[in-house]
Amino acid sequence: MSQDVRRCQIRWRDKCLLLGLLLSMLILALPANAATGADSTPNFAHPVLTIPRIDVQGYGSLNLSLVLESEASMTFRIGSATPAAAGLNPGATYSLQTQELTIPTLRVGSQFYSAQLRFISADRLQLISTAAVVLPGQTSYQQLCASCHGTDGLGGSVGVSLKNCSNCSALDVLGTRINNTMPLGNPSACVGTCASDIASYILAAFNASSSQQTGLALAAIESLPLDATLRNAALHLVGRLPTAAEMALVTQKSEAGLRQALDGMLEEDAFYARLAEIFNDVLHTNRYLSTNGAEAAIGLMRRYTTARWYDPGAELRGSDYTVNRATTNNSVATEPLELIEYVVRNNKPMTEILTANYFMVNGYSAKSYGITGVNFTNEWDPNEFRPAVLPGTPHAGILSSLMFLNRYPTSATNRNRGRSRLVYDVFLDVDILALDGVRPDGSAVDISNDAPTMENPDCVKCHSLLDPVASSFQNWNLRGTYAPPRTWYTDMFQAGFAGVSAPPRSSGDSLQWLTKQIVADPRFDDAMVRIMYTGLTGHEPLDAPAAGAPQAETEAYLAESTHLDEIKAIYVGANRNLKTLVKEIIVSPYWRADGLNNVAFSAVHEETGAARLLTPELLHRKIEALFGFQWRGPLDQYAANRNVFGSARLLDTRQYYHQIYGGIDSFTITERLTDTNGLMVIVQERMANEMACYGVPNDFLSARTARRLFPNVDTSTVLTSAQGQAAVRQNIQHLHRYLLGEELALTDAEIEHTYALFATVLQQGQSALLGVQGVSENTSLPTRCMRNNDINTGASLNVAGGVDGRLRNDNNYVIRAWMAVVAYLLADYQFIYG
Amino acid sequence: MDRRKFLQALGAFGVAGTLPMTIGTPAWAATTATTQRLFITVNASGGWDPTALIDPKGNASRADGLGPVNNYASSAIKSAGQLQYAAYPEGIEPPASTAAGHLETFFNKHHQRLRVINGIDTQTNGHETGTRFVWSGRLETGYPSVAALAAAPYANQPMAFISNGGYDFTDELVAPVRTASAATFTSLAYPNSQYADNAALRSQSYFSDKAYANVQAARDLRLARLRTGETLPQRAAQMAQLEKVRSGDMKLDGLLAYLPAQVSTGLKGQAELAVAAFASGLAVSANLNLGGFDTHGTHDEDQTAALTLLLEGIDHLWEQLVLRGLQERVTVLIGSDFGRTPFYNTGAGKDHWNITSIMAMGAGITGNRVIGATDANFEALKLNPDTLEPHSSGIIVTPKHVHRALRDFLGVSSELDKLYPLNVERLALFA
Repeated sequence: MSQDVRRCQIRWRDKCLLLGLLLSMLILALPANAATGADSTPNFAHPVLTIPRIDVQGYGSLNLSLVLESEASMTFRIGSATPAAAGLNPGATYSLQTQELTIPTLRVGSQFYSAQLRFISADRLQLISTAAVVLPGQTSYQQLCASCHGTDGLGGSVGVSLKNCSNCSALDVLGTRINNTMPLGNPSACVGTCASDIASYILAAFNASSSQQTGLALAAIESLPLDATLRNAALHLVGRLPTAAEMALVTQKSEAGLRQALDGMLEEDAFYARLAEIFNDVLHTNRYLSTNGAEAAIGLMRRYTTARWYDPGAELRGSDYTVNRATTNNSVATEPLELIEYVVRNNKPMTEILTANYFMVNGYSAKSYGITGVNFTNEWDPNEFRPAVLPGTPHAGILSSLMFLNRYPTSATNRNRGRSRLVYDVFLDVDILALDGVRPDGSAVDISNDAPTMENPDCVKCHSLLDPVASSFQNWNLRGTYAPPRTWYTDMFQAGFAGVSAPPRSSGDSLQWLTKQIVADPRFDDAMVRIMYTGLTGHEPLDAPAAGAPQAETEAYLAESTHLDEIKAIYVGANRNLKTLVKEIIVSPYWRADGLNNVAFSAVHEETGAARLLTPELLHRKIEALFGFQWRGPLDQYAANRNVFGSARLLDTRQYYHQIYGGIDSFTITERLTDTNGLMVIVQERMANEMACYGVPNDFLSARTARRLFPNVDTSTVLTSAQGQAAVRQNIQHLHRYLLGEELALTDAEIEHTYALFATVLQQGQSALLGVQGVSENTSLPTRCMRNNDINTGASLNVAGGVDGRLRNDNNYVIRAWMAVVAYLLADYQFIYG
Repeated sequence: MDRRKFLQALGAFGVAGTLPMTIGTPAWAATTATTQRLFITVNASGGWDPTALIDPKGNASRADGLGPVNNYASSAIKSAGQLQYAAYPEGIEPPASTAAGHLETFFNKHHQRLRVINGIDTQTNGHETGTRFVWSGRLETGYPSVAALAAAPYANQPMAFISNGGYDFTDELVAPVRTASAATFTSLAYPNSQYADNAALRSQSYFSDKAYANVQAARDLRLARLRTGETLPQRAAQMAQLEKVRSGDMKLDGLLAYLPAQVSTGLKGQAELAVAAFASGLAVSANLNLGGFDTHGTHDEDQTAALTLLLEGIDHLWEQLVLRGLQERVTVLIGSDFGRTPFYNTGAGKDHWNITSIMAMGAGITGNRVIGATDANFEALKLNPDTLEPHSSGIIVTPKHVHRALRDFLGVSSELDKLYPLNVERLALFA
């Protein structure tokens, strides 16, 4: 696409020069019956001034693009001229007498101006005058709407962006929406002409096409090749390398093949483990895992007499007590994340994570809740979760989860406001706390009247949003169980949402009603996009720029948000199936970004890309995917350690590196570190050293055809022959591809750099073996690198009466030279960032 | 604003790249330009109750019928020098009178070095907003914690800012470092050792010294090549950041030399690690974090327990500083999200209240002084901004004022100050 655009620009360049000459001789013809429909308003987005349609005799209707050449003199040159799209009104006139181009309404951001330009040479024009233009509805918008939706219409902490909004498809649709519901809580303040004028303004100011700038911004991104995208996706989503079949799909069917391969990955259990991580990073309900207390979740189940079903009493406890206790606790703790998995795995719309009138149990947690009658295939399979209903409980998806309600507790005075804030933040993409910035600063808020949250304007600003949702939680008590109160507070806003009151209590549970309102709100879709985009890229989508933000920031936001809106539309159209959303993000240029082909867009793409410091969990899985074993210490003890949680170097916090490496416990630490710090660099160094030590000798134990790391060389391959040198180069090429995902030619300089490292270490080591210059080393491998026992069984590799399959020596230093190469690559940026 | 923008902004001020050490020289150490300031914040997470600590009220009934502020007699309120401190609530078993966390023991020992600011209005009762305001000086998002600001000029030091959770937003001025057990540090102090935790076998390495040096040199050169050829700004920035951190001189074995044989748990352990990192020259700033203060139920029992741990931890921190001879170089600031209601709820708990206090001690702090006050109902009193005495036409002190004074006191550079403006009058809270 980008090449097409460039070709088009080049093709028109000559014509543009001619056009400049001709414009001075032509009279602009303005047809009286101009069509209406698409946006015709000229706009300026630095440095391009676009006139969607200007009629030129002999050329017809043109889309004219002027590029600002000098800010000092405000001169433009003609950048391109292409046939105008159908259905546009002419947006400018040209005077033969004055040689002036007049633009009655020119959009600059969300502001409008009239502008006049004069030809100063064949293809150059100079801006000679501007004046502000106020559109009908503009003043009303600023008075009634801008405080929530932003002066630029890009949204804010409360109001959604009005760019491509769900009601922005047509003037009458938007006008009706404003007429009936806006401003929130006071819709009678703007009806009739007020509403239609504001709708016109919103469509003109915020929804006019900026596709040219957005298209150019996207075209500046160089995307990863599809096969590399497949590798990255496989490592990220399912913690493995692509299969041969998946690679063949991509080769044969290009992007369609990639999507097909992704479809398969999104059915794997490993994807659901990653999905749980992504959502836990937002919900933090894993705070109740047994790593934060043996009965952290069970302890919340005071009303359930069978909560501790696994404990027959201290004297009668069997050998399975500890396992059953931990399994039960974790089964209860992960219930909200299991609900998300259930919804996604079964291709249900994501709305069901809030509207589900059930919750998830396995055989262990069902016993704790005292639930019978669930049709388990194996009640002792901790991974078999099924929907269930607590008698007399109106489930409301995650919001009624015992874990969610306790993770975000409330009190008699807080009255669920903390829960409400979380709901807005996580499920509506609205940060209520960001409104703090407009609080009176330097003096206390006046709380002297009886109901300040309903009467003091300083308080009402937040509480009119916060409290109706908070009141909707009224039937769920401080401990997170369903216990409708006899009365509810009258000195706060009552249950409701977005200006609509909840039905009377007799009509049902207000929380269930609330969840239906939330999922019908377009911001719920925004929230899902934000969560998944953040999880997959490692950073949040760009926030709407503040007033006065640099042009590049605005362009970056517009480009990214426009693209995410398109992704969102596809996801919504696919019945809000999260798998669709994952796929669309993976294939998007923002996830695949591999470079820029135009440095002019560096500022616009400052945050673009999915490169991230791998979380400890992602790095743990990547290591296993590439080596076939996890980082748990020497392989001679691996069989004993592989199921001991505390031996996983990147997952355990107490003795090892999970917390140091930026992991969270969802309890005291809830924010991941995203930048490498000094300690993390040493963790990377130790990881590289240990994995090289364990992985290199282990790989040489296998036959060449079965090796992951060294398919081209043996421990006897040295550099004394051209054949040996070639084999080493080929294997280095393989290691760059296998460990780093780099496709390098054998002649690439990076191959030579790695070769030089191998050769240097080998030569120095061989000299040391000979004791040259007083430096001596022996032929034994470092003790922890030796391979004595089977990795899976722990049995000795030196079977009595059989072949001694151990690897303990490195007679010519080749293994250690390769260890140096692998350690070099494992601490490389390309390995530790994904 | 991210670090790149920050550096660009510094460029605009004529300050390029790495900041000279003198930029962060605190006002109180102006005569020793090379003195590296060291700074510790201690966060009582969840919202402490100043009326149970250093702004005591007693059990006089409130005029509005909400009951007493505290469950101890007003006559039981005690003093140490200029400081007044709370008594233990009735029915609550206090810690042993000799314990470091006992109120009387603690204040008798430390009052001469403690400065207290009471009656600070946090203007919020939300945890997230409260911690942000108290530790950054701004209600809004996007402002780094003062501990991060203190570390910013030393961002090239690999452990410049140690964070134990709480509000540790840095805006990428400096990478926060999280800590772990002493054993973990040992394994990281000797990354090329097969047996880091065994002094006798520690010299047995994975790679010879020569080979290891070759690997590290090749790695650094490769990173520089990658960064030079990178066109995606995000990745180029990540590579530059990795390059910068790798260039730091991380001598963890030095830190180990200052750690106790058995590192404590909880706040005490955090203090031991922070002080060891200071003593070994690896860190210049740390935030310590202790939970347990969000006492919506059984307030007296739970708040007392949390305060006891807090005071024990602060005392231990001080002893560690003295042990390492750092008490003249380290400033300690102790605070919390906000305060708790001046009355009890129906569950014998106390909910969130926007008024709070802070305590400061250590380098540059003149102790035995209380600034600010609250009335009988624990409402903030206005202060004359010149005399800092209560005055009806004065101003209410907010965390913004505290941070204005704190930044001046710590010598936060004018460049950083402009990047994260406070725009509030200067009060001599730490002078």
